[in-house]
Amino acid sequence: MGKIVFAGAMSHVLDPDYYQRVCGDVGRQNTEEAMAAIAKMGERFSATKADALIVVADDHLNAFSFNCVPAMCVRIGRQVQRMSQDHAEAFDAVLEHMPTTYPLHEALGNAILEQGMAAGFDLALSWEAPVDHAFLAPVNTMHGTRPIPPLVPIWVNCFVAPQPSARRCFALGQHIARVVAKSPWNVGIIATGGLSHFPELSVPRIGETDTVFDQKLIHWMERGEHEPLQELTADELHKSGGHEFLNWMVLLGAVTPARADVRYFGELRRINLAAVEWRLA
Amino acid sequence: MSRYAVNSLLYQLKKDPAFRSRFIKDPAAAIADLDLTDAERAAFVARDMRKINELGGYLHLVISIPSLAAH
Repeated sequence: MGKIVFAGAMSHVLDPDYYQRVCGDVGRQNTEEAMAAIAKMGERFSATKADALIVVADDHLNAFSFNCVPAMCVRIGRQVQRMSQDHAEAFDAVLEHMPTTYPLHEALGNAILEQGMAAGFDLALSWEAPVDHAFLAPVNTMHGTRPIPPLVPIWVNCFVAPQPSARRCFALGQHIARVVAKSPWNVGIIATGGLSHFPELSVPRIGETDTVFDQKLIHWMERGEHEPLQELTADELHKSGGHEFLNWMVLLGAVTPARADVRYFGELRRINLAAVEWRLA
Repeated sequence: MSRYAVNSLLYQLKKDPAFRSRFIKDPAAAIADLDLTDAERAAFVARDMRKINELGGYLHLVISIPSLAAH
């Protein structure tokens, strides 16, 4: 009987140089504090000796071109490549020092996909899509020099309207929990991105966050109140810059009704950085 | 406004270094055959990423195209 043995969510642009450039000294300081909290979360995850790590994140229009944008997609196969980008700008540059290849947990990925089809979750699949900073910055920050266990990357379309609903993402997490429970594996799950930034995906609004909105989300997660989170609308997420919270909704469905502990929350004018861990039974 | 035309062009500019080089050298010629509105074409020729974003170009593309990114 398998079990979810670790659950955490965190911001995914984890690059002190980037935030130094765009926010000054406080940007570097906040990012380093967030990364330290995420590294400690990684130590606790590694201590579980989990068989696999599910990573729920979004594509920044890197892996999927405009010939297909899947609402939800499971990366299957035996290994996954880091995205490559010539003359990388902004958050793409954070990838450059990271390993290029990562093992996948093929059996768990296939089980989530195949049992999803049987249960009404028509998930997309990919054998080739590479992973960008949304997956690899948290995974590498958590592990440092320790070995990274086999991954199961899952993409949620957070940006290209129409996105899946918060409630549907939560339901995907519940599906994942059922698959893990029927499996022989102990599994960790992380969700990445956020908190609020880039409201309305508008260049003139770069630099705005919505701290009131973020604190509302945190309040509900700390209390294990997941129904109001499922009622979040696409419009609310778009206006607040909470697009990537859809990834967190998948994790919430997988661990509900567990309560969250905030390991880090720091306001920046560009983004509110956060790291959160759930108390699992 | 054609969300597909604008964003597929942005994607090509990010991922295809040879096309990006042609665009930087002569943007009007590089996009001459593409199905863009006059406003979209003018924004690309001016390399005005803010305007391209206003016309439907996705934020994560307009801030991450090498040599052309809006900041």
